[in-house]
Amino acid sequence: MHHTPSTNSSAADIASVLVVVQASLSLVAGLSAIPFAIVEPGFRVLAVVTILMAAAMFWLARNLRRGRRWAWRWLVSLEVLSLAMTSLLSLLPIGTIRGPVPLLVNLVIPTAVVVLLAAARSDARRAA
Amino acid sequence: MYDIATDHASALTAAVLLLLFVVAVVGGLRFLAARRVALAGRITQVYDAAPSMTKLAAALMLLSGGIHLALVPGHEGITGVLFVIDGLGFIVFAIAAFLTNWWRRPAILWLVATILAYLVWVIAGWETPDQIGIACKLIELVALGLLMRLANPTRRTWLRRVWRATAFPLMACVTTLGIWVGGLAHPDALHAHAGALLQPVAAVATPEQQVAAAELLANTRASIARYQDPAAAIAAGFKPGPVSSADPLRHFQNSANANVILDPNRPQALVYAKTHHGLQLIGAMFQMQRAGQWGPDPGGPLTQWHQHEGICFSPFGIEFSFETPFWTCPIGSTSITTAPMLHVWIINNGKNGPFAADLDKAVQRELTGRS
Repeated sequence: MHHTPSTNSSAADIASVLVVVQASLSLVAGLSAIPFAIVEPGFRVLAVVTILMAAAMFWLARNLRRGRRWAWRWLVSLEVLSLAMTSLLSLLPIGTIRGPVPLLVNLVIPTAVVVLLAAARSDARRAA
Repeated sequence: MYDIATDHASALTAAVLLLLFVVAVVGGLRFLAARRVALAGRITQVYDAAPSMTKLAAALMLLSGGIHLALVPGHEGITGVLFVIDGLGFIVFAIAAFLTNWWRRPAILWLVATILAYLVWVIAGWETPDQIGIACKLIELVALGLLMRLANPTRRTWLRRVWRATAFPLMACVTTLGIWVGGLAHPDALHAHAGALLQPVAAVATPEQQVAAAELLANTRASIARYQDPAAAIAAGFKPGPVSSADPLRHFQNSANANVILDPNRPQALVYAKTHHGLQLIGAMFQMQRAGQWGPDPGGPLTQWHQHEGICFSPFGIEFSFETPFWTCPIGSTSITTAPMLHVWIINNGKNGPFAADLDKAVQRELTGRS
C-alpha cells in the first residue's frame, strides 16, 4: 500500500489546482478575444483585462498554496462575485447556462472552490 | 455552437449513475468495515489513508473512464476500440492510485494522450466536438492538474520551474484551440457557420412549401416597402439598434411587435445596409420570444429559422466575439443565445437566397464595400 509522496494535499491545495484551471480558461478566453479586437475596439480592453485577471489568479493560486490569508480572502471574493454574476445572468433569457460544460465551468467549479476554501479555513483554525 | 450529440446523451446518464455507484460502494464498504468484515476494513483503510488530491484525481479518471465506456455503442471501428482501451485504462489508473506508487506518471501520459487523441479526431473530422466530449476533456484537464500538483520535485532548476508553471495553461490553450479548429473546420449540418444553429427541417421543399415561401417573400416585400426611408421606420416605432463598426448592417427593432409570430405586416426588425449613400432597406427580420423556440416555417427547408449561440456579448460598446468551447468569455462580456430568427431579404441575395441566415458575401461587398 504505497502512495505517491505528495506535498500538502489539503483543501487549499485542491482549491489552488481548481483556481489554476479557472485561470487557464480565463487566459484562453482573453487570448481568443484578440482576433476580434481587430474590428471590435472594446474587446481590445476586455482581452487585456481578462489576461491580466488570469495572471492574477495564477498568482493568487500560488499564494493560496503558501497559506497567505490575503490570497484566500481575494479568492473567496472573486469566486462569490463570479457565482453571483452567473446566478443573475442565468435568470435572464439569454441562454447563459445551456448544457454540462457551462454548468461545470460557471457553477460547479466556482462552488467547489468556495467550499474548499471554507474547508481550508476551518482546517487552519483547527490546526491553530 | 456546441450541443449534446444524440448518441452521446447516454454518457451523461452513465456519469451520474457512476458517481452514485461510487458513493454507494464507499458507503457500503464503510458499513461492512464497521461490522468487522476484514476485506472491507482493509479497503477502507487504504482509501482513507490516501491524500484527498489522490482521491479526487482517481474519481475524475474513473468518471472519464465510465464516460468513454458508455460512448462505445455509438462509436464503431477504431474509435470504439480506442474508447474501450481508454476507458479501461482510466479505471485501472483510478484503482492503481490507491495501491501503487508508480501510477502518477503513466496516468499523466494517459490523460495527455487521451486529450491529444481527441484533438486529432475532431481536427480530422472523425468526431464532432459536442458538450459531452468537451466536458470529458474538462474533467481530464482537472485530473491532469491534480496529478501535476501531486509531483514532488526533487530537482528545482529554473527550467523545471518554468515548465511546471506553464505546462498546464499550455495544455488548456492547445485543447481549446484544437476543439475550436475542429468545430470550425467541420461544422455539423445544422450549423450554417460558427455561432449559428439552423432549425432542423426536411431536405426538400414540397410544391406547396415553395408557393408559401414565395408568398411570404412577396408579402414582406410589399409590407416593408413603406420603410425605405429610415425616418418612416422610426416614426412607426422601430428603434435603430446600436452602431457597430464591425457590422455593415443595421437593425431597427420594434418592441411592440415582440409577441407577434411571423406576420409580414409586423416584423420584429428591419435590416438596413450601411451603403456609401446612407442606409438602404434590404430586408426584415422575424424573431421568436425565446431561445430554442423555433418559429413556423411555411416554406419548409426554404424558410429555415436560425439562432445565434456561443456569442460573447459586451454591453460596453455593444460588441461581439465567440466564446471558447469551455464556455468562457472575456471579462466584461457574457455568453448569449438569441431567440430564433428568420431573415427575409427583399433584395437579390445571390446564391444564399431570400431567407438565408446571412447576406451573400458578394452582395454585401457590392452594397457596403465590405465583406
